[in-house]
Amino acid sequence: MEAEKTASRLRRKSSARRGWSPRTRRNFVTGLLFISLWVIGFIAFTLYPMLASLYYSFTEYHIRKPSEWVGFANYVNLFDDKLFWTSLYNTCYMVAIAVPLTLLCSFACALLLNLRLRGQSIYRVIYFLPSIVPVVASTLLWLWILNPSSGLINTLLSYVGIRGPNWFRDPNWSKPALIILGLWGMGQTIVIYLSGLQDVPVSLLEAAELDGASWWQRLRHVTVPMVSPLTLFNLIMGVISMFQYFTQAYLFSGSATTSSQVATPLGAPLNSTLFYSVYLYHLAFRTLKLGYASAMAWILFIIIIVCTVLLLRSSERWTYYAG
Amino acid sequence: MPGEKMAEHSPRPARHPQTPHWLRRVSQSLLGHALLIIVGLFFLIPFLWMLSTALKTDQDVFRLPPHLLPHDNLRIMIDDEELPLYDVTLEGGLIRRLALVEISSDAVGTFVDPADPSITREVRMRFAEPILVVAFQWHNFPDAMNRAARPGLGVNFWTYLKNSLIVAFFTIIGSLVSSAPAAYGFSRVEWPGRDVIFLVVLSTIMLPYQVTMIPLYIVFTDKLQWGDTLLPLIVPSFFGSAFDIFLLRQFFRTIPEEMCDAARVDGASELRIFLSVVLPLSKPALASIAIFTFLWAWNDFVGPSIYLTDPQNFTMALGLQDFRGQHQVAWNLLMAASVVFTLPIVVAFFFAQRTFIQGVKLTGLKE
Repeated sequence: MEAEKTASRLRRKSSARRGWSPRTRRNFVTGLLFISLWVIGFIAFTLYPMLASLYYSFTEYHIRKPSEWVGFANYVNLFDDKLFWTSLYNTCYMVAIAVPLTLLCSFACALLLNLRLRGQSIYRVIYFLPSIVPVVASTLLWLWILNPSSGLINTLLSYVGIRGPNWFRDPNWSKPALIILGLWGMGQTIVIYLSGLQDVPVSLLEAAELDGASWWQRLRHVTVPMVSPLTLFNLIMGVISMFQYFTQAYLFSGSATTSSQVATPLGAPLNSTLFYSVYLYHLAFRTLKLGYASAMAWILFIIIIVCTVLLLRSSERWTYYAG
Repeated sequence: MPGEKMAEHSPRPARHPQTPHWLRRVSQSLLGHALLIIVGLFFLIPFLWMLSTALKTDQDVFRLPPHLLPHDNLRIMIDDEELPLYDVTLEGGLIRRLALVEISSDAVGTFVDPADPSITREVRMRFAEPILVVAFQWHNFPDAMNRAARPGLGVNFWTYLKNSLIVAFFTIIGSLVSSAPAAYGFSRVEWPGRDVIFLVVLSTIMLPYQVTMIPLYIVFTDKLQWGDTLLPLIVPSFFGSAFDIFLLRQFFRTIPEEMCDAARVDGASELRIFLSVVLPLSKPALASIAIFTFLWAWNDFVGPSIYLTDPQNFTMALGLQDFRGQHQVAWNLLMAASVVFTLPIVVAFFFAQRTFIQGVKLTGLKE
């Protein structure tokens, strides 16, 4: 029995090395059959739409009549589109401020949750729970808490003599309000950091302590480098998802105006929440400029690839992999 | 504090009489708890505020100062009518407890004395202080669910709940049925080109949905005529998602090869090994997939907002906006509906806390 097993394993290995033996051929067919659903899905729901949208981005697309080839006109027009630049600015604002801030705060929270104290399991649940509240529910909840006239925050501020800002009705405060909302739901990033902190070898920290390293020095020279691969992961995921930021902003602009009879004007107030994906959505599904929106989608794709590659490149200098 | 620092670095801090070891420990743990609680309030209070608003009356929602416990007027039965009680300041500073019958347009209330209902008094409302007691408006939940925001359509929140459940159920089935075989093909069967194709799977994670959104919209609504049905939200899940395949592949690789080989020697086909050896061992991973797919389907706002226009087909994520009326928001009902919307996820979390946390650690973010 044992001998047979090893023999079969040896046979498999050697045949794989030699290439297309009958066994390999059979495995090839079996393997393809197992992944066949994914292959169909990939072609139908990823590859075809990708190529189609690339094609659309060079056309003026009409659903009912044939579309016209316009070359690079959509891309050139985007370059002159003021709202395109506004949406790009707003998105970069969030990428540059909200993403690092979220990382910093989640790391700090993870440090707190990693202290050896009683009741940590309760604290961990409390810190994590907001992140599983559905985005629509948490956004509406914060629209209520940040309500300028009767919300919890502004009422509490008024008791200490501060006149709270108009939050989502004020173009200067709508993005900070979105950042606060994002911080409330950062539980998943905290969990990822916490798992990293738990993997930092205690012996390393103790050795540093014996060498006279202060708390700050241990944090700076042991803990931070040890979790730097997770920082890279969180950073890339944060940047990618921030470029696609949509639902919260969509709901915010719906609250900045009072009438709900007309379709909610996106980006309110004063285009301060007009993020890249929001403008893209507006172009595609409100004005049906599908070709123009496709061009915008492809620029987004390129931006995301460039950002990811740049982050990965730079990470070689600041991430540390043990072993 | 140099003394404290010394004690911290000394291998045997008990020797330093000026900062006893236990005192340092206690103060450190107190500081830790204090910080944890202060930060924890930021996470906890909005949560409680949602619950508390959901249980308040319309007036109580806006009553100042803000209070976590829902209150309502203390009421008394007078002549088969429930009337709210007030402490009314009468002329001469006399305070009497009276029941309010009605308020005139110029803010003058008509009060009766509970002891003798035949005596009525007219007093300006600013001299009347309501008597409040803690009261939870549980009926807000059925009210929110049964509320028909769009009269005449026969649509209420139950409709949205039903649609959300349909989407979530079939999406979970779809991702399990499609991702598990694919993950098996990528981990337990050795075939040429496997690892290259798997890189393609992983790279689709990077692709922003905006790129495929428009052609898919055209295919689903124009070519297949699936506009305003739940199909565009469900069908793609039956063809595997990169995240699920990745997660399951990682798990399948931890199952000892010997178990599969033993079955192979006995003449079992790969399909049979997959179904009767690998799948039964993978229940925790499959549970992870189910929960994360549920979270994702429950949360999804963009998909429904693109494809669904008839309220008859709305999911809860879309339907929650119904509570934002033209001018006034029914905050208590909106929060009640939000609680109903959030509850399944919180319940799932408490039943499968370990699976949740494990899943987050494995996949990072799934959005």
